[in-house]
Amino acid sequence: MTWQPELDELRLREAHAKMLGGADKIARQHAGGRLTVRERIDGLADAGTFHEIGAIAGKAEYDAAGNLTSLTPSNCVMGRAQIDGRPVMLLGDDFTVRGGSADATIREKPIMAERMAYEFRLPLIRIIEGSGGGGSVKTIETTGRANLPGGVGGGALYHYTGANLSMVPVVGLGLGSVAGLGAARLAATHYSIMTKNTSAMFVAGPPVVKRLGEDLTKQELGGWEIQTKAGAVDHAVDSEEEAFACARRFLSYLPSSVYGTPPVTPCDDDPNRRDEKLFKAIPRDRRRVYQMRPIIDTIVDKGSFFEMGRMFGRSVITGFARFNGMPVALMASDPFFYGGSWTADACAKVIRFVDLAETFHMPVIYLQDCPGFMVGLEAEKAATIRLGVRAMAAVNQTTVPWCTMIIRNAFGVAGVVHQPAGRLSLRYAWLSARWGSLPLEGGIEAGYAADLAAADDRDAKLAEIEDRLNLLRSPFRTAETFWVEEIIDPRDTRRLLCDFAQLAQPLLTPTPSAVKMRP
Amino acid sequence: MAENIVTIRSEIGALVWKIAAPAGTALAEDDTIIILESMKMEIPIMAPHAGTVVEILVTEGQQVEEGQAVATFRP
Repeated sequence: MTWQPELDELRLREAHAKMLGGADKIARQHAGGRLTVRERIDGLADAGTFHEIGAIAGKAEYDAAGNLTSLTPSNCVMGRAQIDGRPVMLLGDDFTVRGGSADATIREKPIMAERMAYEFRLPLIRIIEGSGGGGSVKTIETTGRANLPGGVGGGALYHYTGANLSMVPVVGLGLGSVAGLGAARLAATHYSIMTKNTSAMFVAGPPVVKRLGEDLTKQELGGWEIQTKAGAVDHAVDSEEEAFACARRFLSYLPSSVYGTPPVTPCDDDPNRRDEKLFKAIPRDRRRVYQMRPIIDTIVDKGSFFEMGRMFGRSVITGFARFNGMPVALMASDPFFYGGSWTADACAKVIRFVDLAETFHMPVIYLQDCPGFMVGLEAEKAATIRLGVRAMAAVNQTTVPWCTMIIRNAFGVAGVVHQPAGRLSLRYAWLSARWGSLPLEGGIEAGYAADLAAADDRDAKLAEIEDRLNLLRSPFRTAETFWVEEIIDPRDTRRLLCDFAQLAQPLLTPTPSAVKMRP
Repeated sequence: MAENIVTIRSEIGALVWKIAAPAGTALAEDDTIIILESMKMEIPIMAPHAGTVVEILVTEGQQVEEGQAVATFRP
């Protein structure tokens, strides 16, 4: 005697679960230009590697004889899979069942997925569409009570939403309307992606904000342009397939958990490669700006730069890259935005980025061209200095190896924040580098006020002082007094950074960081 | 052909330092339309494609906000 009847019932229940919310709902999902949760999992995972957990959990109906007639699965689909041959945890909302709402969730399923990622140290990808959370207001009637968020013993999901950030890489994909707890789970990640035309994220959607007098479409309220510029979501893409590719690529630079180090891959790009363009990349006219991204592209392993958060805090560029196959966290200034000065947003971006590097033991490379913190009334109102000293503290709290290339400007307190202050790191200045406590423009008026007031021709005096000081500002004078240790030919940049990446390898310590990452 | 005209916006708050390409100027991609000044640096606003400047919406010396329309352009 075998257990065939029981096996048949198991397969029957699984078959019900595979039908999701039913053919109509699946057709509606597709008509909206969106994949189903199972199609998304297939798109993300290596072929045939998804091992589902809790597939047959859901709401069942039986006939009078007690035979199963239907089973609507829970709208949370989760399990283990592999991405590029490495095990990961996948956790997806099924919008075809009650619009992904928590009304139809079995509370323990997403918690187990988060907990499994944490305890088995597996990167976690959250595929988010819907609201999650306490469910719609309908639950007041179905449960007979209002929901105290978290309630008694209901904190586990919220705990892991944050705790996983200090344990494993967490990626969020917003692939439809994402609200409430769904928005929180998307934002509480190391890297979040949304689709441009088919997704929107908000704390509360249009019907709720309309009651407050704001009549907006989903896109106007929480579309990609709003959320990537605000820094609540890192990246926006045209298709779900692109989102999957971004998620896979993000993970390729990282260890599976804080108990590993970033995976080194074979590299066929010559570490000693010199690009002549670097010799004239920086304009001699100090008022003129230049494009930083082509500089990045030519010094890293070919094609290895992976930018994150491009639309937010845009005076700083952040991303992963490889040098001779070794992953690094690369940060660079973008002079096209406020001359590369650190705005409050840029500081917030730096904080999150160096925390990410510290969490996953990634050496940091910083290509600096920073004329200081952003100045002016708007900058003061934005508490730039508060965010600025937080960024300084975040840099100083890192323990990962650092290497800074001063490309052009290093001015003021923001200029100081180019290496951790309390320990030794590597630093090189390009031939185009300039520095100071204050820029001469305005600095002379402040420092030489008495001389200028006493002069017959104020403008002539100003020009005379400026000429005098400029003669002394050559970076070679600084090097002469060993106030900077090395000035380099910019064409040697790649060789020196590959050298740094190699030096950094034995220093990478695969233990949890003392600094716990916050989203 | 009005539907083909694109609005060019400033990506930063800054001072308009120079109008480099007045209305009617034909430009190649990445040619400069307007030069802003921010943190003592000259920051160009460039043509997104080859095309013609239709209208300049700001004047030299004017302060612009992030996201403000500064020109219209026909690719």
